[in-house]
Amino acid sequence: MARLVVEGLCKGWDFPVIDDLSITVEEGEFLVIVGPSGIGKTTLLRLVAGLESPDRGRILVGDRDVTRVPPYRRNVAMTFESYALYPHLTVARNIASPLQARGLPAAEIRRRVEEVARLLRIDTLLERKPGEISGGQKQRTALGRTLVADPQVFLLDEPISHLDARIRHELRSQFHTLEDLRRVATVYVTHDYAEALSLGDRIAVMGNGGRLAQIGSARELFEQPATLFVAEHLGQPTINALEAELVDVDGRLEAHVGSLRLPVASSRRDALARVGERRATRRVTIGLRPQHLRPADELPQGATLEGRVDIFEALGSTGVMIVDVGGVALTALTRPERTFDPGEMVTLAWDPAALHFFDPSDGRNLLL
Amino acid sequence: MAGEAGFEHRWRHVRLLFLAFLGLWLLFTLFPLYFMAITALKTTAETNLTVPTFWPEVFAFGNFAAVFAEATNFDALVDSFVIASLNTVLSLVLGTLAGYAFARFPRQAGGENLAFWILSNRMFPPVAILVPMFFLFDSTPWGTDSIWSLVILYLVFNLPLATWLMMVFFRDAPPELEEAAYLDGWTPFRAFFRITLPLVLPGMISVAMLCWIFAWNEYLFANLFVGTDVRTYTIVIPTFTHGSQTLWNLQMAFSLIAMIPPVTLFILLRRYMVRGLSLGVVKG
Repeated sequence: MARLVVEGLCKGWDFPVIDDLSITVEEGEFLVIVGPSGIGKTTLLRLVAGLESPDRGRILVGDRDVTRVPPYRRNVAMTFESYALYPHLTVARNIASPLQARGLPAAEIRRRVEEVARLLRIDTLLERKPGEISGGQKQRTALGRTLVADPQVFLLDEPISHLDARIRHELRSQFHTLEDLRRVATVYVTHDYAEALSLGDRIAVMGNGGRLAQIGSARELFEQPATLFVAEHLGQPTINALEAELVDVDGRLEAHVGSLRLPVASSRRDALARVGERRATRRVTIGLRPQHLRPADELPQGATLEGRVDIFEALGSTGVMIVDVGGVALTALTRPERTFDPGEMVTLAWDPAALHFFDPSDGRNLLL
Repeated sequence: MAGEAGFEHRWRHVRLLFLAFLGLWLLFTLFPLYFMAITALKTTAETNLTVPTFWPEVFAFGNFAAVFAEATNFDALVDSFVIASLNTVLSLVLGTLAGYAFARFPRQAGGENLAFWILSNRMFPPVAILVPMFFLFDSTPWGTDSIWSLVILYLVFNLPLATWLMMVFFRDAPPELEEAAYLDGWTPFRAFFRITLPLVLPGMISVAMLCWIFAWNEYLFANLFVGTDVRTYTIVIPTFTHGSQTLWNLQMAFSLIAMIPPVTLFILLRRYMVRGLSLGVVKG
C-alpha cells in the first residue's frame, strides 16, 4: 500500500495536454478528477499507468520513482472507458489475467477470481464471453480484473459514464462500499460533476491547458471556487455569471449589471476594497448560484429583484426557472411543488453573502 | 393486404432472377471442372475427336495410375507442397511481424507510404521481372534449380500481400486490449501472443490460404527456374505428351490430383475464413 505522487508532470510541447501538474493521492484516498471532455484527464491516467511517458516531471508510487518503469512492472491497475475486455476469453479468464501474469497456482487463481466475482455479483457469468453480457456486467468484469490484481494504485477512467441511469446509480454506490478501492490510492476520472461530488474524498478540477484549476473537498469547491471555470463546471444548474461594475453608493458597495443594482454584503466589502487597491479597474464578473436565488417567499431574508418568467421547468425534486430581470436572464430554483407560467411577474430573493466575485480577465476568484 | 401480396409477388420475381443468375454463374465456374474430370477419364483416342463428347464412352481409370508411371511425377507434387508450405510459413511470420509494426508503430515503421509501396509490389506484371530475377538468383549460392530459390522468390509476391492484410487485421484489433494486458502485468511480447494474436488468427489463416495457393499454383517462374533437380507439379503437367500429341487425359488426371491438397485445406479451414473479428470488443 502506498500513496501516489505526481510532480510537475508535462506532456506535449506545442499544445500541452498536461502542463506542470502536481497531485498527491494519499493511501486510501479516493480522488476524483473532473473536467470537460478532451481536457487531458485520460492522458493523465495513461501517464500514471505508464502507457505514455511524460515529457517532464516525476511519478512516484510509495517511495518508488516509476516514471520510467514500464506499465507491466508498475503494479498500477486501470479500467478503460471502453472496458477493454479480452473478447476471446471468458469472464473468469478475463478476471484471472493479472493473476496468471504473476504465475500463481491454478487453485489460488480460481479461489481469488470466485471471491471477486461474488463481491461484484458476476459469479454466475464466469463462463460467458464478454460479447454475451450486458454493459453493466462488462463494467463489473473490468472492475473485477483490476480488483483481483491487488494493486497499489487504482485508476478508473469514466467507469460508469456509458451505462444507463439505474445501473449507474447501483455501481456508484458500489464504489462507496468496495473495501479494496477504499484501502489504496484511487484516481477516478469523470466528466460528470454529480459523480464527482458523490464519490470523491477530494475532487480535482482540470481546466484548459492541462492544468489543475482547483483541488479540494466537494464543499470547498462548491462554496469557494478558485476560478469562474470551476464555479461553472460544478453545480447544477450552472451558476449565473454576469459582467458587473463595482460602484460606491452612499458608503455602501453595489454591483451594477446594466440597470440592475445588486448590493454587496458588508462582509465582502472590506475584502473587495483591499483587492480593489491592487486593481486598475472596478469591473468584475459576479457569480450567483441558482440555489441562492429563489422566489421571495422561499427566502424571506434576502435582497429582492423583480422579473418576468421566461421558462419554467418542473424537474421533480426542484423547479428551475429562467427569469428576465431588467434585461438580464437569471436562473433561479423553486420548491418542487410550485409552478410558474411564462410571462408571469415574480419577485425573487437572493442572499448577498452568497455572491462570488471573479476577475473578468483570468477568471480568478477575487476573494481567495 | 392486396398491396402487400403484390409487394411479395414482385420480390419473388427478383428472387427468381437472382437464382437464375446464380445458376448461370455456377454453370460458368463448374463446367471447366466437369470437363476436366471427364477428360481425365477418357481414352487418348476419345480426347482427340473433332466433336468432343460430354460423357466418356469408356471409363479409363488407368489414367490416374499412368501419370505416376514415372515415379518422379509424384516427387513433383511433394516438391510443390514443400515449396508452398515453406513459403507460406515465411510469408506469415514475416508478414505478421511487419503488419503489426505498420499497424501499431506506423511512424517508426516507415509510414503509410512505405506500407503502400510494399503493396504496390503486387501491381506490376510478374513477367516484367522474370528474366532479371533469373539472373539474380543464378548468382546466389543456392542457384535457381532448388527448393529455396522458389521459396524465396515467391516471397516477392506473397510477403506484400501478407504484410498488407495483416496490417489491416491488426488495425482492427483495439490497442487498448494490449494496454490492458500490460497493466495486468504481461510483457508486450506475451500480451501479443495471449491477446492480439488470437484476435487476428482467423485473418492469419485466410492469409496463409492465399499464400499457399499462390505458391502451389505458380507456373511462370517455376518453369524458368527449376526443372532438373527440383520440379513443381505445374511444370510436370505440360510434359504429358506423346510425340507431337498432347495427352489431355493424363494432363487432366494429374491436374485433378493436384487439386486435392488445396481443396482439402480449404474445406478444413473454411470456418476460420468466414469468421469475423467482431467478438464484442467494444462497449454496448
